Amino acid sequence: MIRIAAAGDVHFGLDSAGSLRPHLEQLPDRADVLMLTGDLTRHGEAEEAAVLAKELEDVTLPVVAVLGNHDYHGDQEKEIREVMEGAGTTVLEGEGITIEIGGRRLGVAGTKGFGGGFVGANATDFGEPEMKAFVQLTKELAAGLEEALEDLRDTDYRVALMHYSPIKETLEGEPPEIWAFLGSYLLGEAADRAGCDLIFHGHAHRGTEKGITPGGIQVRNVAQPVIQRAYRLYCFEVEEGEVACATAGEAAQAGAAGSVTAST
Amino acid sequence: MDEHEEEVARSRGRSTTEPPHYQVQKVREALAHDHRVGELELQVTIRGGKVMIAGTVPTQEVRDAVTTVVREVLPDAEVLNHTTVGTFPAPEGAERL
Repeated sequence: MIRIAAAGDVHFGLDSAGSLRPHLEQLPDRADVLMLTGDLTRHGEAEEAAVLAKELEDVTLPVVAVLGNHDYHGDQEKEIREVMEGAGTTVLEGEGITIEIGGRRLGVAGTKGFGGGFVGANATDFGEPEMKAFVQLTKELAAGLEEALEDLRDTDYRVALMHYSPIKETLEGEPPEIWAFLGSYLLGEAADRAGCDLIFHGHAHRGTEKGITPGGIQVRNVAQPVIQRAYRLYCFEVEEGEVACATAGEAAQAGAAGSVTAST
Repeated sequence: MDEHEEEVARSRGRSTTEPPHYQVQKVREALAHDHRVGELELQVTIRGGKVMIAGTVPTQEVRDAVTTVVREVLPDAEVLNHTTVGTFPAPEGAERL
């Protein structure tokens, strides 16, 4: 069984120390990997990332993240990446990573992604240079994701991690007028072309958790305001008789007893 | 708008105060850019001289700052701060894929 914990839009500020720690302490009993779908910080400052990095540095399971639009606001995205990587978090942009979990290989490819909208109501790289640049950026990031997913073809499962949405269904709840700023079909198209088993994104706080790409890949919007939880748990390959993941109560008990009882 | 501009606006049948339609965006931008708040996703509604803010903020300090920032942008408006402090619990179960 492969157990994934996923969360988006944690929006860490200088006053956020300790807010994730109780959950992170339980996490090794409940999951094999933690995925963060961007907006790690509130104002895009490296100091804010340092607060989150400090929170994550003692986490014993692999942490994989992409950056979000907030992480770019302070023009410190490179520093934020360095701070996070310094704490052991893998930050992906057009890149992939393979994680060994119980003899199985989980591939994770990631990009921040960008906007542009969805077929029928999408931006086109035509006209002013600013419009061309806007669409071109999304195309470049989608191409990076596709290549990274292709490179992970020899893994058992592939997950695509992004901040912006690849489909409009997980934006339901947001005003349709802003969907073009919340995601792009180009991201979904890239994932469908390369193939993967699951897509996580965030960004759309008023959106919907579950959706599916035109090619049939399951999509989960794990922005914290959407899931109303610190994170969500997803499991691949749950065999008969296996408990998918320990409940929060069981994990707390296991933590208190200093033992691991999850998912046997 | 100075006195002369107001007189010109009035003589041409235009409003002498900024329509709430545009004030909404000014409040949204202030809430996003001001370091005390830094929230881009709050809902802002202005009706009858009242500014209603809704959405989730991470701490009580940020929630208090929402009121302060809105008052700085629109000093004469009544602020209805309906934001909630988001503390998210751990999930109970897992989804099998």
